[in-house]
Amino acid sequence: MSLLWGAGSPPCWRVMITLEEKKLQGYKHKLLSFEKEEHKSQEVLEINPRGQLPAFKHGDNIINESTGACLYLENQFKSQGNKLIPDSPAEQALMYQRMMEGLTLIEKLNLVVFYDLVAPEGERHDSAEKRNRENLVAELQLWESYLGNVAAGSYLAGAFSLADVVVFPNIAYAFRYGLSAERYPKMAKYYSLLKDRPSIKTTWPQQWYQIAQRSETLKDL
Amino acid sequence: MAKDMTLLWAAGSPSCWRVMIALEEKNLQGYKSKQLSFEKGEHKLKEVTDINPRGQLPAFKHGNIVLNESYGACLYLEDQFKSQGNKLIPDNKAESALMYQRMFEGLTLFQKIAQVLFYNLFVPENERHDSAVKRNKDGLKAEVKLWEGYLQGTGPYLAGKNFSLADVSVFPLIALVFRFGLSVEHYPKLAAYYNTLKDRPSIKTTWPPNWKDTPGQDALKDF
Repeated sequence: MSLLWGAGSPPCWRVMITLEEKKLQGYKHKLLSFEKEEHKSQEVLEINPRGQLPAFKHGDNIINESTGACLYLENQFKSQGNKLIPDSPAEQALMYQRMMEGLTLIEKLNLVVFYDLVAPEGERHDSAEKRNRENLVAELQLWESYLGNVAAGSYLAGAFSLADVVVFPNIAYAFRYGLSAERYPKMAKYYSLLKDRPSIKTTWPQQWYQIAQRSETLKDL
Repeated sequence: MAKDMTLLWAAGSPSCWRVMIALEEKNLQGYKSKQLSFEKGEHKLKEVTDINPRGQLPAFKHGNIVLNESYGACLYLEDQFKSQGNKLIPDNKAESALMYQRMFEGLTLFQKIAQVLFYNLFVPENERHDSAVKRNKDGLKAEVKLWEGYLQGTGPYLAGKNFSLADVSVFPLIALVFRFGLSVEHYPKLAAYYNTLKDRPSIKTTWPPNWKDTPGQDALKDF
């Protein structure tokens, strides 16, 4: 297995957490720099023609889509490490629901934190920024409600699952870019319960993209 | 069982269509099915928000279980009904890897389609720019070319020899781009894929009702 990854990228982080959870340590990996545009290098393009990270290979099998890679790993290595997809229909359905909703969460976070990368100069509008912030607040409030009963061992869909693999990095990202723990206490509790989970602690990003400029972006939400 | 299932859906919505295809493939016909209209704002009705607080379609229930995310519903149905209907996740490791890859790339394809075809719906008038319209069109064209290339390398289905969740997820998007005028001459592999699948029973049965008797549009004819 080999993984090309970038620090602070939730999609990369998801795959790394899954590899730890499934006891697949020892894979070849290489940290690349978004700042230096290394995600557009030939080495990445050979695996991922989209020039995006993660770029993941298992033998000849390439899965660059992080959620797809996590599902693939859970299915291929069902009998080792921790079970990441519940068997019970109700928990399984909730897990898939929250896992996929996690992709909406990161989209809305990106629209606020990285608005200037999404909209080139000349196309930016206060009205759009305002709307993006309002949409993100509504989204964060949904997640506060989803985590209403969060406790040790009781996460997004019961026991730790692929929903948490996909969503925890997004929540860590939100706090890193300034989200208030006082205003989002359930998310803060979820964060503090999981930040020391071995698979998460071991793979914690050493840095985040342009953190100096953006670490206050979400503080007023 | 199907009679404990309910699906609220809108015609032409790829997210809704893929759940309907999955239900057919797993022999789960007979579910309660209600067609609603986006144009009339019916996706915001209480009957929808009671199931899906986001006020979006599809809204899907199996007994007390709710699964509105279409990919989630498809994965759940394949897992829960593994032993009936058609197998939608290949056993072969390489094929399953390609299936997951293409399935999730489908989300990018949909995003780029929406940025072009639904630009005016999502972007208020005072925020629209010709530069954005052009960039979005170029982005979608590059994306469609990528998928044409994927079908040059593999076939007849997206993950290879077998129909899979990749096709369940992505066929509705391919049908959508042809509905909006994509050229069969410029994209022969996508056209062949479309022709192979349009008569598959699960797809034919669930074909958007409003597409059958009305002509498509031509927004993408110059791609």
